[in-house]
Amino acid sequence: METLKNRIQGLRDQFAQAAPQVLDQAALQELRNLYLSRKKGHLTQLFELMKGLAPEQKPAAGQEVNSFKQYVQSELDRLEKELQAPSRSGPSVDLTLPGRASYWGAPHPVLLIKERIEQIFLRMGFSIEDGPEMETDFYNFEALNFPPHHPARDDWDTLYIDDDLLLRTHTSPVQIRVMEKKKPPIRMINPGKVFRKETPDPTHLPMFFQVEGLVVDHGITFAHLKGTLEYFLKALYHDSIKIRFRPSFFPFTEPSAEVDIGCTVCNGEEDDCRVCKGTGWLEILGAGMVDPQVFKNVNIDPEKYSGFAFGMGVERTAMFSFQIPDLRYFYENDLRFIRQFSKK
Amino acid sequence: MKISIDWLKDYVSLDLSDTQVISTLNRIGMLVDEWEETEDDTILELETYANRPDTLGHLGVARELAAALGIPLNMPDISIVENDKQIAEHFDIQIMDEDLCPRYCGMIVSGIEVGPSPDWLQKRLRALGLVPVNNVVDVTNYVLFATAQPIHAFDLAKLKGSKIMVRRAKRGEGMRTLEGRDVALSQDMLVIADEKDPVALAGVIGGEKSAVSEATRDVLIESAYFDPVSVRQTWKKAGVQTDASYRFERGADIKFPPHAAALAATLLTQMGGVAYQGMLDVYPKPARPKAVVIRHHRTLELLGAEIEEAFVTKTLKDLEFQLKEQQPGIWQVTVPTFRVDIEREADLIEEIARFFGYENIPSQLPMWETVDLSQDRKRSLETGLRQLMFHQGFDEVVNYSFTDPAREELFRRDRGAIAIRNPISTRAALLRTTLLNGLLQTVVWNKNRGAEGVHVFELGHIFSQDEEDKRELQAMGMITWGALEAPHWQGPGLTTDFFHLKGTCESLVASLGYQAVSFQSQDHPFFEAGHALALHLKGTEAGILGRLKPEILEAYDLNEPVWAAEIDLDVAFEIQPHVFHCVPVVKYPSVIRDISFLIDRGVPYQGIKEILDGLNLPYLERHTLYDRYTGTGVPEGKVSLSLRFVFRHPQKTLQAGEVDALQEKIGKALRSNFEIQLREGGEN
Ligand SMILES: [Zn+2]
Repeated sequence: METLKNRIQGLRDQFAQAAPQVLDQAALQELRNLYLSRKKGHLTQLFELMKGLAPEQKPAAGQEVNSFKQYVQSELDRLEKELQAPSRSGPSVDLTLPGRASYWGAPHPVLLIKERIEQIFLRMGFSIEDGPEMETDFYNFEALNFPPHHPARDDWDTLYIDDDLLLRTHTSPVQIRVMEKKKPPIRMINPGKVFRKETPDPTHLPMFFQVEGLVVDHGITFAHLKGTLEYFLKALYHDSIKIRFRPSFFPFTEPSAEVDIGCTVCNGEEDDCRVCKGTGWLEILGAGMVDPQVFKNVNIDPEKYSGFAFGMGVERTAMFSFQIPDLRYFYENDLRFIRQFSKK
Repeated sequence: MKISIDWLKDYVSLDLSDTQVISTLNRIGMLVDEWEETEDDTILELETYANRPDTLGHLGVARELAAALGIPLNMPDISIVENDKQIAEHFDIQIMDEDLCPRYCGMIVSGIEVGPSPDWLQKRLRALGLVPVNNVVDVTNYVLFATAQPIHAFDLAKLKGSKIMVRRAKRGEGMRTLEGRDVALSQDMLVIADEKDPVALAGVIGGEKSAVSEATRDVLIESAYFDPVSVRQTWKKAGVQTDASYRFERGADIKFPPHAAALAATLLTQMGGVAYQGMLDVYPKPARPKAVVIRHHRTLELLGAEIEEAFVTKTLKDLEFQLKEQQPGIWQVTVPTFRVDIEREADLIEEIARFFGYENIPSQLPMWETVDLSQDRKRSLETGLRQLMFHQGFDEVVNYSFTDPAREELFRRDRGAIAIRNPISTRAALLRTTLLNGLLQTVVWNKNRGAEGVHVFELGHIFSQDEEDKRELQAMGMITWGALEAPHWQGPGLTTDFFHLKGTCESLVASLGYQAVSFQSQDHPFFEAGHALALHLKGTEAGILGRLKPEILEAYDLNEPVWAAEIDLDVAFEIQPHVFHCVPVVKYPSVIRDISFLIDRGVPYQGIKEILDGLNLPYLERHTLYDRYTGTGVPEGKVSLSLRFVFRHPQKTLQAGEVDALQEKIGKALRSNFEIQLREGGEN
């Protein structure tokens, strides 16, 4: 009798140890066979063993064996259930396995930055305007104070379709088109694709994106230009970004300014910084007060209204923001590049 | 342009460190891009400005610095050794075209021994990266980089006759340049000619025949003003651009030619030459200086900064403008001839702002009034489309708007492609007529780099033309090939197919708010026959989708199916969307009926759907195709379709009897329109 009890206790311990190791149906079946097989399962053996006991010992032994059988049965049922409906806890599931996510497409980095720029100006109450990429010489040059043989046209190597039609070299023609149609106040940005006759290399592209903007109203001053662009740059980068306004000479703005930000890579602290060439500054915007002649070209009285215009290259801004080393990355459309911007 | 700080010191006494010089120049808008320190000098790489030709020489840069620092500008010394000959008695200059050459000065320096220049001069030129040639050539280069006035030296002995004629080239004339290039001349080109032939291309380059050589003893110095447009057209036509043409086309200082000639003569006589007395200066119609009025109050109105009158007048005077007060606060300003950029009051205000310092102008945000935001619907639609495509797992790309004519030919439609007259390469000679060409290249690029699936879209403009017009449209293209997701430990990933693309198009149309959408089979040159659908919005065709045809894929070495769609956004955005209204949520339970039937495989589902939609059944909330089966138990040529109908009454629980009647109506409609065999009806 004692032998039987000890034997049962031993089997119970073995079962308790084996149960957590059961991770699939095969292991469960193996365990079931080990204990319940009619041929030589442990329980069959126990019942066999019982047969050899004295009759007065049999009821007590029968109780012991039956209770153990019930225990085994219910444990096996429990394991079966766990395997069928994977449990939320417990050792039978490896929670370190990778999860399942749906793929979210990646925006093109240039359009990602363009959208960020647009969002900031939308918050300031600017409208967004579009225009054709195939433009006339008049809108692209003449209306902006570039007479037909002005050498300033050499700053833009233009792609022509015929004597009059060209691929716009900047998005400024949109500003002329809007000023012809709408009366001030005008507060707009005109983002879009522009084209130049350039062979692609790490710092040049024949096609890129610009965001330009225009404000026309009574009493607009250079101080407003500064305030607006400082607000914009702080919103795009961060509140403590260094900003510098320098004079420049654009034919369609007087006064003209170029706007630099402190180098986003070295913060002006490395003499051999590849990005700012050690100057500590990155040129980010061109801007200026709209030339009175440009206003006259679109029948706006420059004595009553004034305004400022600005423009920036989106690729450059994206390069500074994400430290992209080579402009050609943008239009190769290598998904190993583009997918890095998923959910950014 | 390279500027030597040591050279600047010839004209302005700089008591500043290099860094101070650089920051002073930057502050007034002369941007120093880079600089390099040499043994006893610092060479600046100064940005050039198309409308500031006066700063294309050291003297002009020094003038800006002097004004910024409030110190005087020292003009170069003129002191010429002369012989007893009067130039006018020995030589003559005749201008035949005063429009193209309003002024021409000449001086003769004789008895020069051509040889190496003195060290100081060689050093000046080397600092700018130039290689010294001989003393005469070096002097002409020196004067150009010192004063921005290009000059030229002819070997007097090689000129035929004793007269220079400034005239247009004659038909059939030609000239070999100093560089040994033969240039065919045309009648719109201005040339400098001796009594026989052209000896220089005016303002561009000298001729080989009259060039200075070792044997030269006497030279004629030319210092002139040429019309910018004429010089520009001439160099473009001749294909020769020089430091001289670069300056003339931007506008030289019409007052300066005599000074530059005298400076050259000074230097040549220092090197042993002797000048003839006097100067030939042909200047038939002296230019009237420009006058511009500036009003003090406009500085505040345009700059938003309080700038004192005294600052305004001092700055302009330092820059050599002459002021005459008309009334208090208003001056008539005479513009120096070297400032070709100053035309208007705003230009003068720019000068004042530059020297006042942009950092001293306050920074303000204007008080905004509301503006017209009419473009915003289109913008928000675009934003929505992009988000939807990301959600569908498509990556965004941007392809060049140019395209290879050979590739474009594969995507030929009824309208032709627009050619670029001066393309960057022959493989980028057309404007794209479709986005799909570029998108297919994106697939190939990434497949060749190991991608197992490419699903990308692009928003952009496409271009086309016919005899009547050239057109530019906004389009959206999408393409899908291969694995949609990486295999996961829980099972293999999905692979794309036509219905992934179609589902994306359906969601896209829904996101635009269009309800009356239909897809109609259509033959299309991009797609395999029987594998293309046209997308119709409210009856207007707005796009096309399908499986690209093998001829196109073969050209890209692709042998797996690729599906693509192109949507005309100008059309899609133009259509008025369905006005959205929210529908109350009904609390009564629904009744679901499933109907399964066998039908010919050739019957399109769209036909069945149209019949069912046409019934306008009451209380039908929706119906969906939830199973489509061919195989065991389904006869050859047939397909088993299972549709689920969900009925719901807004104000009560529907009775089985009511739904039975509706279900009967559905069965009848199907039977009367199609050969069908009902399988089993479901009742829940
Ligand atoms: Zn840096």
